Amino acid sequence: MIEPTPPVATSSNATPLGKRFRQGRDRLATALITAGGIGVILAVLAIGVFLAIEVVPLFMSSAEVPFQDLSPLIWGTLKAACFALLFAVPVALGAAMHSSVFMSRRLRSRIKPTLELMEALPGVVIGFVAGLVLAPYVERHLAGALSLLVVMPVCVLLAGALWSWLPPRMRRLLPLGWAGLWLVPWLALWVGVALFLSPWIETQLFNGDLRGWLDSRFGLDYSARNALIVGLAMGFAVIPGIYALAEDALSGVPGHLGEGAEALGATRWQTLWKVVLPAAGPGLFSAVMIGAGRAVGETMIVLMVSGNTALMSLSPLEGMRSLAASIAIELPEAAPGEIHYRLLFLAALLLFIFTFLVNTLAEVVRERLRGRYRRLGGGS
Amino acid sequence: MKGLTAPRWFAGRARLPRGEGPWPWLVAGSVALSLLMLLALVLLLAVRGLGHFWPSPVALVSLEDGSQLAGVKVREERRFDGAGSEWLLRTANRDLEGGIWQWVAVDAIESVSHPQDLVVMSRTRWGDFIGRLVALEDASGNQQEQAAWNAFEARLAEIQALRDERDRLRGDVVLPLVRRLERGLDSEARERLAAANARIRGLQRQMIGETLILESADGQRLAQPIEQVLRAWRPNAMSLPDKLGAWSRGVWRFLSEGPRAANTGGGVWPAIFGTVLMVLLMSVLVTPFGVLAGIYLNEVAHQGRLTRVVRIAVRNLAGVPSIVYGVFGLGVFVHGIGGTLDTWFFSDQLPSPTFGTGGLLWASLTLALLTLPVVIVATEEGLARVPEHQREGALALGATRLEMLARVVLPMTVPAMLTGVILAVARAAGEVAPLMLVGVAKLAPQVPVDGDFPFLHLDRKFMHLGYHIFDVAFHGGDVQAAMPLVYATALLLVLVILVLNLTAIFLRHHLKMRHVALPRH
Amino acid sequence: MSVSSPSRPATAGPFIDFESHDSCLEIEGLSLAYAGKAALSELTLKVPRHRVTAFIGPSGCGKSTLLRALNRLHDLNEEVDFSGRILLDGQDIHAPEVAVSELRRRVGMVFQMPNPFPMSIYDNVAFGLRLQGGMRKRQMDDIVEWALSSAALWHEVKDRLRASAWSLSGGQQQRLVIARTLAVRPEVLLLDEPASALDPISTLKIEELIRNLKTQLTLVLVTHNMQQAARVSDYTAFLQEGELVEYGATDTLFTNPRLARTENYITGRMA
Repeated sequence: MIEPTPPVATSSNATPLGKRFRQGRDRLATALITAGGIGVILAVLAIGVFLAIEVVPLFMSSAEVPFQDLSPLIWGTLKAACFALLFAVPVALGAAMHSSVFMSRRLRSRIKPTLELMEALPGVVIGFVAGLVLAPYVERHLAGALSLLVVMPVCVLLAGALWSWLPPRMRRLLPLGWAGLWLVPWLALWVGVALFLSPWIETQLFNGDLRGWLDSRFGLDYSARNALIVGLAMGFAVIPGIYALAEDALSGVPGHLGEGAEALGATRWQTLWKVVLPAAGPGLFSAVMIGAGRAVGETMIVLMVSGNTALMSLSPLEGMRSLAASIAIELPEAAPGEIHYRLLFLAALLLFIFTFLVNTLAEVVRERLRGRYRRLGGGS
Repeated sequence: MKGLTAPRWFAGRARLPRGEGPWPWLVAGSVALSLLMLLALVLLLAVRGLGHFWPSPVALVSLEDGSQLAGVKVREERRFDGAGSEWLLRTANRDLEGGIWQWVAVDAIESVSHPQDLVVMSRTRWGDFIGRLVALEDASGNQQEQAAWNAFEARLAEIQALRDERDRLRGDVVLPLVRRLERGLDSEARERLAAANARIRGLQRQMIGETLILESADGQRLAQPIEQVLRAWRPNAMSLPDKLGAWSRGVWRFLSEGPRAANTGGGVWPAIFGTVLMVLLMSVLVTPFGVLAGIYLNEVAHQGRLTRVVRIAVRNLAGVPSIVYGVFGLGVFVHGIGGTLDTWFFSDQLPSPTFGTGGLLWASLTLALLTLPVVIVATEEGLARVPEHQREGALALGATRLEMLARVVLPMTVPAMLTGVILAVARAAGEVAPLMLVGVAKLAPQVPVDGDFPFLHLDRKFMHLGYHIFDVAFHGGDVQAAMPLVYATALLLVLVILVLNLTAIFLRHHLKMRHVALPRH
Repeated sequence: MSVSSPSRPATAGPFIDFESHDSCLEIEGLSLAYAGKAALSELTLKVPRHRVTAFIGPSGCGKSTLLRALNRLHDLNEEVDFSGRILLDGQDIHAPEVAVSELRRRVGMVFQMPNPFPMSIYDNVAFGLRLQGGMRKRQMDDIVEWALSSAALWHEVKDRLRASAWSLSGGQQQRLVIARTLAVRPEVLLLDEPASALDPISTLKIEELIRNLKTQLTLVLVTHNMQQAARVSDYTAFLQEGELVEYGATDTLFTNPRLARTENYITGRMA
């Protein structure tokens, strides 16, 4: 089997010179990669440092700096982010719970990339649709739009109740694992019904003028570009991000934890609520944090939907002006070096610091969580 | 302790033997809601964006008071006072009516018909015309009423050919000659320019001549010089194949032509070109640096506390708002580096800035910085996926680290890097906010690439699909008129990004498959 | 094989008489610690040329660590503290003038998990040759054929050299890895549990291959399977908790161990 004499390998590179060449090349490449890598990373990290340097003269200058101009903008930023999260967090976490526990594997492997695509929708498109299509529509059909807040959960619960009365054969045709899909036409149907019926309800309850009623009863002023629409549009934009991270956290929980609870007779929902959610809690928290970071920094949607009036009100029916939108509007016109210019840089620095801190917090929490799962023997 | 609560809890369960209670349905509903919203958005864009090019029928509306209106029904809307609903008609004829929209109460409508002889014309001045063609009048004043439409169509085709020839001459002959003359006196160029201009004047003379006698639905007459008519069609007389043909020509014009009428008409070709060029430049910049940094972090750097901190920081930078990158780009690239370049190399043109203002180069650099974390993270993940024993196998054969990386590890990481770059491109293509600070333009008639040295003009401003949407939708004069175009542009942008993302997903899937095939016994 | 009875006191540690063999590898006072935790302590032994030497011992006894030290694979890990010397043909492998890549060419290594590269069978075997460079196609073909024949794989793959190496079975992959290592003409071949991931038939083939290869080079085998050590090795070293307990001719060690610890391990496991 073994040939006694191997062919002789003569090789030019096997000479000491060749060896030295290979070693040298290796060292050179390592040095280049090191230099390039460190250079790139420093360049990326330089952003914060640069912004800080540009802002320093503001605090050194003798002239009066109108810092208070920033407060309505900070208020607007936080208000927009809050409304976005108010809408996005329940929907995204709910979707994550459904897809990690109840959804069938096959559907899940399709839904996850679909929602990833949702994340890739550019802000300018969402902003356009929300600002120019949705806002005028809601202005005309406020009652219908608000009624959806009630109709949607009710119609889903109705679907659940109807489902449990169905004969077993029908129930197998419409399994809970695919509910995410077959509830879509059902929801669409009820949305249609609600929008169709809402004029009648408005006439019955509010004399046909909900906006007038809101104004006289609560003193709420309605403006077409308002926090509700911003929340809806920006919520739509941050749902996929929160969903993806929350889903990862939930499905990363080691399986034997849940199995233990189910073996004791708990339903899947009880298992999820009592065992899986507490275990994945930090992961969900960091998902929400990252969503908040995104909502705070989103520019185009707020720019196109919020109306950009620097108000400090809590009303969901009024607009706001955010830091990011102000930068986009005012910075191109500001002269470099003047106070206004530097004030806008301060706004950018605030955004940078806020998102950086929030993301770091989220990342540290996630890191810890991963360690915890590993110790529990899951291995995500 | 538990014993007390258990029976009650159990009783509760007994009532719903198979069910899990209401909560699972609510969370399923949130999946359905997300899908529904996504579906609604995509459908809206697709229907409105593609529908814009469809030659929609023109309605002739007779009102109770005896007047008539011709227009395209855009939508029906409930009236604010709740008394019935009304139609929004696009009646065009800005020169006759002063506006192009009419609201008509449904109650006031007596009858609606779709006569075949209604004509829609797209004109270079005053926008569209909707009405009837009465006669075609030639230069000497002879009116032709019989078969006016056929004669008009034939003449329109001739004029279009002349117009194309003129545009070609302007772009390919006149513009380069003008640039040559700008650089210095050149008698040959001057002569050729004069000849070309004479030819263009000749072409333009050939276009004019006939006048159209038009009549609107309410009977107003109008003399329309024929050279101002771009296209004309009779939507009510068109068959389905005709309409399909007109639709596809409309789509093609949208993709291939420049904008008209303050961006509310025409196509988006310069914006497509600008977006693609900027994204290409960006990926050329981001790929080598991102990959280099990824390799450094994962393969070369000492894996200690510092590297871990740097890694987290780089990851977090992906979450920093894009507008902050825009501010950085404006401060460092435009005012910092650009301003310095101007004082060094372009001082003769100051105070008008060359690189000291937003431009293609600075926009690409800013977006490259913005997407760098995406590429770094993807590269790192790809490298981390390569099993350690592959590395050891290469080293055990006497490979140096460079050889191990170049011959074994990097080839296995290529799909991951590619995925990262494509995701970066997809993100960059949809990003608008930073561009507003570093170089996008409402209208840039010159694309940044031409036959003029140095061919690629990195200092020029450029148009961008995303910014085009923002600008037309929010800064245009008549938003209502521009809406269909915005829908179409938005659809195009979404499609581009969708295709890029699907490619990335496909690649990532492919990558996972390959690693599943690794021997695991 | 002449292995004489102990001529030194047992306290001086395990020993072996090398009068009839020159040693290829000499390990002198090798200590090694991972992140402050000792993995090997004060190990001294000589590996005879053109023989199969097996390292056995319970999991975590340091046998794999020792093997990887012979190839300087610990250079990859920065948390390793190291003292002592390893001599290859009398030269310290940690000497500054020794290039680590050249050392690894001379001391080949085969791992527990077959790790063919994601390329064709031919390219896998030619990988090391191409690193050296400057070889003609014809010459390379010859060496690839020889290496595959030496690894008893030639007849199975000669018609599909361009096929992906990942299309081979586990046993074939492991022999391909051995062929790949042989192609660069190493002087020593380190085998880290080369058959533990394989089925019994593939295991037998690998063992036969190991026995045949010792005419060409020196082999060092780490295994947790004592029957395997007994079947293929000429010398066996028994390690426990990072210390070398006993080292001697395989026949003697298995049939008549000097120390009770060794006997306990062998009988405990073999029973």
